[in-house]
Amino acid sequence: MLENDYIRRLLAAIALDNDQAAYKELFILLHGRLKQFAYAMLKSGEEAEELVSDLFIRIWQKKDQLPAIETPLLYFYTAAKNLAITRLNKQKRQASLTVDDYLVHMTSIYFDPEQLMITEEMVRQIKKAVNDLPPRCRLIFKVIKEDGLKYKEAASLLHLSVKTIEAQMAIALRRIAHCMHFEVKPIPQLHFTVKK
Amino acid sequence: MSQEFFWVLLSKKLSGEASPEELKELENLILEHPEWQYAIQNLQDLWKHQPPKNDLEAEDAYMLHLHRMTEKNVAFDDRAALTPVVSLNSRIRRKWYWAAAAVLITTGLFAFGTLFNRKDKKAIVVISEINEVSTRQGSKSKIQLPDGSVVWLNAGSKLTYNKDYNQQLREVTLSGEGYFDIIKNKDKPFIIYTSNIDIKVLGTAFNVKAYPEDKQTETSLIRGSIEVTIKNRPNNKIILSPNEKLVVYKEPGEKGNTHLKEKELPEKIALVTIKQLSYQNNDSIAVEAAWIRDRLSFKNELFADVAKKMERWYDVSFVFENKRKENLLMYGTFTTETLEEALAALEFSFGFRYKIEHKKVTIY
Repeated sequence: MLENDYIRRLLAAIALDNDQAAYKELFILLHGRLKQFAYAMLKSGEEAEELVSDLFIRIWQKKDQLPAIETPLLYFYTAAKNLAITRLNKQKRQASLTVDDYLVHMTSIYFDPEQLMITEEMVRQIKKAVNDLPPRCRLIFKVIKEDGLKYKEAASLLHLSVKTIEAQMAIALRRIAHCMHFEVKPIPQLHFTVKK
Repeated sequence: MSQEFFWVLLSKKLSGEASPEELKELENLILEHPEWQYAIQNLQDLWKHQPPKNDLEAEDAYMLHLHRMTEKNVAFDDRAALTPVVSLNSRIRRKWYWAAAAVLITTGLFAFGTLFNRKDKKAIVVISEINEVSTRQGSKSKIQLPDGSVVWLNAGSKLTYNKDYNQQLREVTLSGEGYFDIIKNKDKPFIIYTSNIDIKVLGTAFNVKAYPEDKQTETSLIRGSIEVTIKNRPNNKIILSPNEKLVVYKEPGEKGNTHLKEKELPEKIALVTIKQLSYQNNDSIAVEAAWIRDRLSFKNELFADVAKKMERWYDVSFVFENKRKENLLMYGTFTTETLEEALAALEFSFGFRYKIEHKKVTIY
């Protein structure tokens, strides 16, 4: 995957050359996504920000180990998750983290009606559809579509099977597509006549 | 074929997970369901569409992150942590202790300003403490200003700012060379005063080279935009765009130029020029700012100018016995090379002879 290759190159520059510019580039590239992911677990913007910073401090401190990372994107998400669990444990807020504990904000999934050939009304419906997705389904949709994880990576991150990821993705797409379908070709309303 | 399977295939296709066989299968399914075509098209568009990158927010977060690293005493520049402050090796060596070599003086350098209140002629004494950071030849320093902005100070340079920096204004004076990464704050513009130019910025990264002994002042903009005012032409404001470098030549007679014969200031060069920043092959950072990444870099520069850079880098002085060699055009990058290694490499490429005695390099 292209992005993993790119991240791998940045990590190599950091490990081999102490390249501070590469370090900054990596931070800029991943900050938003990781913060959102951290927020989904910690439910606090401030803590999420700190977590991302902690994660990048570790990256700098352990830079000798960076070239050995095979799936960098997954590595960052897994590290974020582990840091979040440590935090939650420390605060005795939560002993473990299940898929249903993630709070994925609607705003973290992106739609731009201007760019898409769809109407405002349809966007509203799509947003509603995404919002109504079960939390686990929304989380999976988010890490695959917005964060760019592979099915296998998402499965490993969330301790689910690849089959589950496949099924949840299918559900998400079907529900979103449903709104689009209705927009263009409304299905005739069924009229029930109730006999008295 | 179940509808469920159709959606599995389509999501796999969009995520780049589908195998060639699965893609073929999907194609067939789409042919069977033409009524879904519009939704499929839109889903594809939706998928391709990534949210706009909010780099500004990330840049701010990065600044805070660097700040936290400093607070937690995480050595960002490894050399600072690993290099002993006093080198026992008597050989002339490049000293490169970020922070460690910096002399931070927060002394009672009190500036007394006297203002008269017109009504009662009572004198009001304004006292403000001044922070001064200076670097010796051969050393560099990285400073974090109270607002989180970061300044890298090159060798033989001095940066001063008032204790009340960032309360109402963000003002610093610079003598020498500094790379500035300034946090955005449109209410408090950041102003740098040098001997012959003033630079006003909102939030950006740029390099200023204003050594008193140099015959020109250089301002190189990496990103953002800045406004430069030339001291003896206050009405002439110059706005720089990224990757541009403003070179202001000091006028004959001005300090720093006295030792130059007039013919050394070529007539065809205007007093102010704007040039593009130069880049070495395979290097993402401009030559002008390479020093902040521990690199002594130059491209198509006169040996005389390269010698100046090397004097500061290695804390030595250069003497040209053979004046003609001053005009050799040179390019190169040094990182961890010692003075001896650097000179040997230049000698090999550009043809001159040299001698090192104590801290003096003589060129024949």
